[in-house]
Amino acid sequence: MQKNSVISPWGILSSLVLVVFVLPILIVISSIFGEWSENWSHIYDFALFNYIYNSSILVIGVLFIVLIIGTTSAWIVTNYQFFGKNTLEWALILPLAVPAYILAYTFTGLFDTYGTANILIRDLFGFEDNYTLFPNVRNLVGAIIVFSFTLYPYVYLVTRSAFLNQSQSMLEAGRLLGLNAIQIFYKLGIPIIRPAIIGGAMLVAMETLSDFGAVEHFAIQTFTTGIFRAWYGMYDIQTAMQLASMLLVFVGLFIILEKNSRDNARYTSKSSTYKPKKLKKLKGYKAFFAFVLCFFPICIGFILPISELSVWMLNHNLNFFNDKFWTTATNTIFLGIISAILCSVLALIVNFLIRLKNNNLSKIVSSLLSLGYAFPGLILAVGIVQLFVWLDRYLFSGSEIVLTGSLIGLIFAYIIKSYALSNSAIESGYERISITLDESARTLGTSDIRLLSKIHFPLLKTSLLTSMLIVISEVVKELPATLILRPFNFETLAVSTYIYAAEERMIQASAPAVAIVLIGLIPIIILTKMIRLSRVGRKH
Amino acid sequence: MKPSVLEIKNLSHSYENETSILENINLLVKSGEIISILGSSGCGKTTLLRIIAGLEKQSRGTVEINHSIVSDANFSTPPENRNIGLVVQDRALFPHLTIYENVNFGIRNLSSEIDIPLEYLKLFKVENLSKKYPHEISGGEQQRVALARSMAPNPDILLLDEPFNALDKQLKTELHNETKKIFRKKNSTVIIVSHDIEEAKFFSDKIYKMKNGQLAEMSIMTKN
Repeated sequence: MQKNSVISPWGILSSLVLVVFVLPILIVISSIFGEWSENWSHIYDFALFNYIYNSSILVIGVLFIVLIIGTTSAWIVTNYQFFGKNTLEWALILPLAVPAYILAYTFTGLFDTYGTANILIRDLFGFEDNYTLFPNVRNLVGAIIVFSFTLYPYVYLVTRSAFLNQSQSMLEAGRLLGLNAIQIFYKLGIPIIRPAIIGGAMLVAMETLSDFGAVEHFAIQTFTTGIFRAWYGMYDIQTAMQLASMLLVFVGLFIILEKNSRDNARYTSKSSTYKPKKLKKLKGYKAFFAFVLCFFPICIGFILPISELSVWMLNHNLNFFNDKFWTTATNTIFLGIISAILCSVLALIVNFLIRLKNNNLSKIVSSLLSLGYAFPGLILAVGIVQLFVWLDRYLFSGSEIVLTGSLIGLIFAYIIKSYALSNSAIESGYERISITLDESARTLGTSDIRLLSKIHFPLLKTSLLTSMLIVISEVVKELPATLILRPFNFETLAVSTYIYAAEERMIQASAPAVAIVLIGLIPIIILTKMIRLSRVGRKH
Repeated sequence: MKPSVLEIKNLSHSYENETSILENINLLVKSGEIISILGSSGCGKTTLLRIIAGLEKQSRGTVEINHSIVSDANFSTPPENRNIGLVVQDRALFPHLTIYENVNFGIRNLSSEIDIPLEYLKLFKVENLSKKYPHEISGGEQQRVALARSMAPNPDILLLDEPFNALDKQLKTELHNETKKIFRKKNSTVIIVSHDIEEAKFFSDKIYKMKNGQLAEMSIMTKN
C-alpha cells in the first residue's frame, strides 16, 4: 500500500508522542484562563516589576558581553595565527561545562569579603582584616558577569563556524577597497554573519531566562525565582503557572527570533567564488594581545572556578567523598542513563520516521519536540506537576499519589529538555547514511523494522553514543526541574550542590560541583574534537 | 512465446509544480529479456527505474509485475514486496557488513542447502573477498559484489542504473563480458539505464531512447 499515508501506525505514534510532550506547556498556558488569586495581586503590586526589570537587565547585559567576547574571540581564532591559537580555539568552549550556578558559587567563594581572593590580597599586602579589594558580586552586575562567562561559547561556536565559511576573497576585496583590519571585522565580518550571531545570542537569552540556581544564590528577583517562591513559599501552583506563562511570552519571542535567524543564515553560505582563509601570522605585542583576549574568558569561565573548587577539595582532604556523595552520584548517573536511553531511542524513532516517510507530520513533530530545549526547566516542572496531579486524581481517584513526586516526572522533564540535543546528534548521523543504502535494502526485501535494526542502528552507533553522553551531561547539570520534581529525600549532584551552597557550605558543595563539571566535560570533549576537524579544506 | 514480466501502461509522472518528467510511457519486458534505456542526464530514465522499483510513485498509469498490478494511481506495493533487484552507480554496499553478509542480506530462503551467497560470489569471482568489508576492496570488486547482492535473492527483474559508469574502460569491458554471461546463464530479466550507446548495444535485446519524458524503441538487437 501507499507508504506516505499520515494515518499509519508510525504517524499515530509520532502524533501521540507530540501530544504527550506538549501537554505540560499547554497546561501552563491554560493557567491564564483560570482564577487569579490574592497571591497574584500581591506579586503584581510588589514583585512583578522587579521580575520584569531584573530579567530584562540581566538578558540585555549578558547579551552585550557575550556578543563582544563571542564574536571577538571567534574572529581572532579564525583569521589569525599566534602562539597558543590551536589550543585556544577549542578551549574557548570549556566554560560550557560549568553551569552558571556553579560559577556563581565559586564567585562568591572567591570575591566575598572573606573570600579567597580578598584574603589573598590582604595577606599579600598586609591590609587590615576588613579591607576588601573586590566589590560585592551578589548583585545584578555579578550575575551578568557569571552568565556571560559561562554562556559566551554559544555565540563563539556559531560565529566561529560562520567566520570559517566566509570567503577570503571577500575579505581581500574589503582590504583593496581601503578597510583596515578592525574595519573589516565590524563592517564586513560581523554584518555578513548577523543571522548566525542573533541565533547564538537568542540561545544565550533563553539560557539566562531559564536559570534558577545562580539568580537565587545572588538573591536577584527574576521570573524563575518568582515562580519558585510562588510555589514553595506561597504553595500556590496556579500563580506559579501564571508567572511561568508570562515568562513563556519572552521565551516564545526568543524562539521566533532564533528560528528566523537560522532560516536567514543561508546567505552566509559559500558562494562559487569561495576561497578558503589564509591565516595572518601575528607577532610581538599583537600576538600577545590576541592571546590575552582569547585566554581571559577561558580563565574566568573555566580555570578560575575549577581552581577554586580544587583548592576547596584539596584543603579538606577529600573527606566529603563519603557515602552520601556516592549515593547522590549514583542517583544522578542512574537518572542520566535512563533519560539518555529514552531520549536517544525517541530521537532515533522520530528521525527514522522522517527518513522513512519524509512527510510533513514527522518533520513538524521533530521541530516541535526540539523546542523543549528552549523551555526553562522550572516551567516544565510546574506543567508536569500539574499534569501528574490531574492524572493521579482521575486515574487513581486521588486515593493514591502514584505519578506526582515519582521519578517518572523527572525523567519526562529531562527528555523534553534534552530531546533537541539528542535529535541533533542522530540527525547528523542520518545525514551521513546515503539514501541509496535504504533503497538497496528495500529492494532486497527489507521491512521497516529490519531496515532500522540491521542497517541504521549499526551505522548510527557513534551518533547514539554521542547523543547519550550529551543527554547525561545535561541531566547532571539540570537544577530547577530536578529540585521541584525529585521524589522526597532523593538528591542528585545538582540538588546537593544547591543545598550546600544555599547553606553557605561551599566547601561541601565543591565535591558534587566538581563531579558535575567533569561529567559536563564529556560532550565538550566531543565538541572540541569536532572543532579541530572542522577547518575548511581539512580531510575528515 | 515468452511470458511478460513487466508491463507499464500509460505511465506519467511529474513532481509538484513542475512540468511532466515522464509522459504516457508504455513498456513490455519479457522474461529473460535485457533492455536498455538510453537518454541524457535528467531525462527521466532513473525516475522510471525508481518507479518500477517502488521507490517513487507515479502520478498516473499502472505498473504490472508478473501480471499483478504493483502500483497505480491509488496504491503502491512497497519495494520490499516487489522482488526486484537494483544496482546503482554508487553501489550502496552496507559499510558495516562483510562482503558475504552484504550478499546474504536479501536472501529469504535461509533453509536452502546451497550456500547462495557463496554461489553468487563465485559467479562474480569475488569469493576470496567474502570476509572483507566494502572499504577494503576496489571499485571494480565493489561493483561485482553489488551485482551479486542484487541477483542472489533471484529477483523477477534486475534494474541497473548506470552500474558501470564509475569504472575505467578496461575494467568496464571485462565486467561487461562476465556480467552478460551471468545474465544469460541465469536467464535474468534486466533493465539497464545508461547513457553509453555501446554498452546498451552490447547488452540489450532492445534499446529504448528517452527524450522529453517519452520512450521510443530504437532498434531490435540480435542476441549474442
